Amino acid sequence: MGERVLVVDDDPGIRLSLRLALEDQGYDVDDAGSGEQALQAFAAQAPDVVLLDLMLPGMDGYECCRRLRAVSEVPIVVVSARTETPDVVAGLEAGADDYITKPFAVPELVARLRAMRRRARQPDHDDAVLAGDLEIRPAEGVVRLQGREVSLTKTEFRLLCELAASPGRVLSREQLLERVWDYGWFGDARIVDVHVRRLRTKVEPEPSEPRHVLTVRGLGYKLAT
Amino acid sequence: MGRGLRSTGLATRLTLALGAGALLLSTVLALVAYGLSRDALVRGRERVAVQQAALGAGVVDNALLGPQPAALDLDALLVGVTAGREAAPLLVVEGRSFGTGLSAEVPPALRRQVLEGSPAQQRYRVAGEAVLAVGVPVEGGAYFEVTGLGELDRTLRVLSGTLTGAAVGTAVLGGLVGLSASRRLVAPVREAAAAAAALAGGRLQTRLPPTEDPDLGVLATSFNTMADALQGRLERDARFAADVSHELRSPLTTLGAAMSVMQSRREQLPPRSQQALDLLATEVGRFGVLVEDLLAISRYDDLGGGPPLDLEDIDLPELLRHVLTGLAQPATVLDVAPAADGATVVGDKRRLERVVTNLVSNAVSHGGGVTRVGLDRHGEALEVAVEDDGPGVEEADRERVFERFHRGSASGRRGGSTGVGLGLALVRSHVAAHGGTVHVEPAPCGGARFVVTLPAAGPS
Repeated sequence: MGERVLVVDDDPGIRLSLRLALEDQGYDVDDAGSGEQALQAFAAQAPDVVLLDLMLPGMDGYECCRRLRAVSEVPIVVVSARTETPDVVAGLEAGADDYITKPFAVPELVARLRAMRRRARQPDHDDAVLAGDLEIRPAEGVVRLQGREVSLTKTEFRLLCELAASPGRVLSREQLLERVWDYGWFGDARIVDVHVRRLRTKVEPEPSEPRHVLTVRGLGYKLAT
Repeated sequence: MGRGLRSTGLATRLTLALGAGALLLSTVLALVAYGLSRDALVRGRERVAVQQAALGAGVVDNALLGPQPAALDLDALLVGVTAGREAAPLLVVEGRSFGTGLSAEVPPALRRQVLEGSPAQQRYRVAGEAVLAVGVPVEGGAYFEVTGLGELDRTLRVLSGTLTGAAVGTAVLGGLVGLSASRRLVAPVREAAAAAAALAGGRLQTRLPPTEDPDLGVLATSFNTMADALQGRLERDARFAADVSHELRSPLTTLGAAMSVMQSRREQLPPRSQQALDLLATEVGRFGVLVEDLLAISRYDDLGGGPPLDLEDIDLPELLRHVLTGLAQPATVLDVAPAADGATVVGDKRRLERVVTNLVSNAVSHGGGVTRVGLDRHGEALEVAVEDDGPGVEEADRERVFERFHRGSASGRRGGSTGVGLGLALVRSHVAAHGGTVHVEPAPCGGARFVVTLPAAGPS
């Protein structure tokens, strides 16, 4: 049985063509034409990944994304005709794991979905890391802050694990893009920045004054030892 | 004259007009005041002189008509008559003159007239000083009194000096009032001119501040209305291109996905359908690039200077290597000079990637392939050169090749990866947004050489 993809787009042409193309690639595809339908379909089908258009009639994609995120850690790829920084960042802030802009080639989309799936697997290194009051157990998929378990999405967890793999060492945004998202050199580093921000709201007691996930100006990010 | 005046500014004209008007008015008033005062003073002086002379003449006449005129000491009499006054007497009796000083020079015409029996008076100058001679006939001769008018002259001079000063002062004051009034009048005009220049320069948000003054308010209101209309129109035009591009993205996505479904079954299609499918696939790809370019370039129109750059430090040799790899070009075409090794620029990675991609695609499509991609450093400037083996760009086309939708002359079409002429225009916009320049020149071994110059980040 293949991976289940939920395609949310108000354009029936896109829904049908993506269904055909993704089914060719071995995916099981459900689709929804609005945010409301998407929430229903999500509850009924429990897809492995959601492809979400941001411009939807009624409840828009951002709201739909937030509601999905509220009930699930399912990977969400935002599909948008908008590439301007504020739109991309808003989509990621709403809880999306990745984004892809229209028009895209099907192989590109499939590559993003595969990368997402790889991310969901356990990290290669599974030694537990203790950084101050932050405890990271890659093998168990568990992160504890001051002893209390923290709920992270797969992407946030993977990002934290990559930083925890070499505590104290700086990883550039390009390196993180490649290791977490499977992007090449021209990947969009804004994804990293937004995810670091989101991660901090969960693993930092005071997100505006991070003590664990630190920014190294001009170089990248590191996990404080 | 009219031409000269018209070429002078409104402020200067207003200043001059008010100054001249004030001068004219104050001069007329001063002249009238001087004339009236002088007449009154002179007439009063004359009246006094005539009365005094008549009194003096009466005393002398009585003496001459007295019982022993021959025994009279006329000199002593004259001194007595004019004692305590500034007048100098002169008595002419039976051809003999008595008197001193000023009176010696009473004009002959006046003498004659009075001697003939009619009283008369005359003003004239003695040694530069004005005097008044009043003559009255007496028994057997004539009696004159000559009065110096120096005091009156001095009074009048002081008066005329004061009035002249007042006239000039008023004129200067008028000019100053004109200057300050015109400054205040012209200031909003200057402000409007500066705002219009800013508007023309692309700062579409420029507006005039609201003002209480109803007259200037009209200017500000209509200027701002015009600016609103202009900004709205420009933004609508630019947004149209962006909207069109956005609207085309969904059907293009559908086309691409449907195409991939057909392409995965290509082998099951008859040869003619395969040909048609390949054609469709190529054109859908080109269409997609065109829509991207159109959207990217319309953003430069929309925002004047273009959308803000996502700035970061970029290793330029690294960027060139990645672009060439992405475009399946052999790594050997890259030629980084030692001075440019590891050189960085502060820039927007994805836009610089588009710059290099478009130049390389252009060389592949129209220049017979890339022969060399060079990177060198000249002082603070980094120079990326993309050379090809094609027919080159004719001198007349070297500027126009960067225009939108430019189609080259007979020597071969250029214009970027799409073949419809947005690629190089986008290169120029992106490079300009980074503070750089781009031009094309003949390559050393024939063909074209596109040179992008970017400011280097930090010291070498």
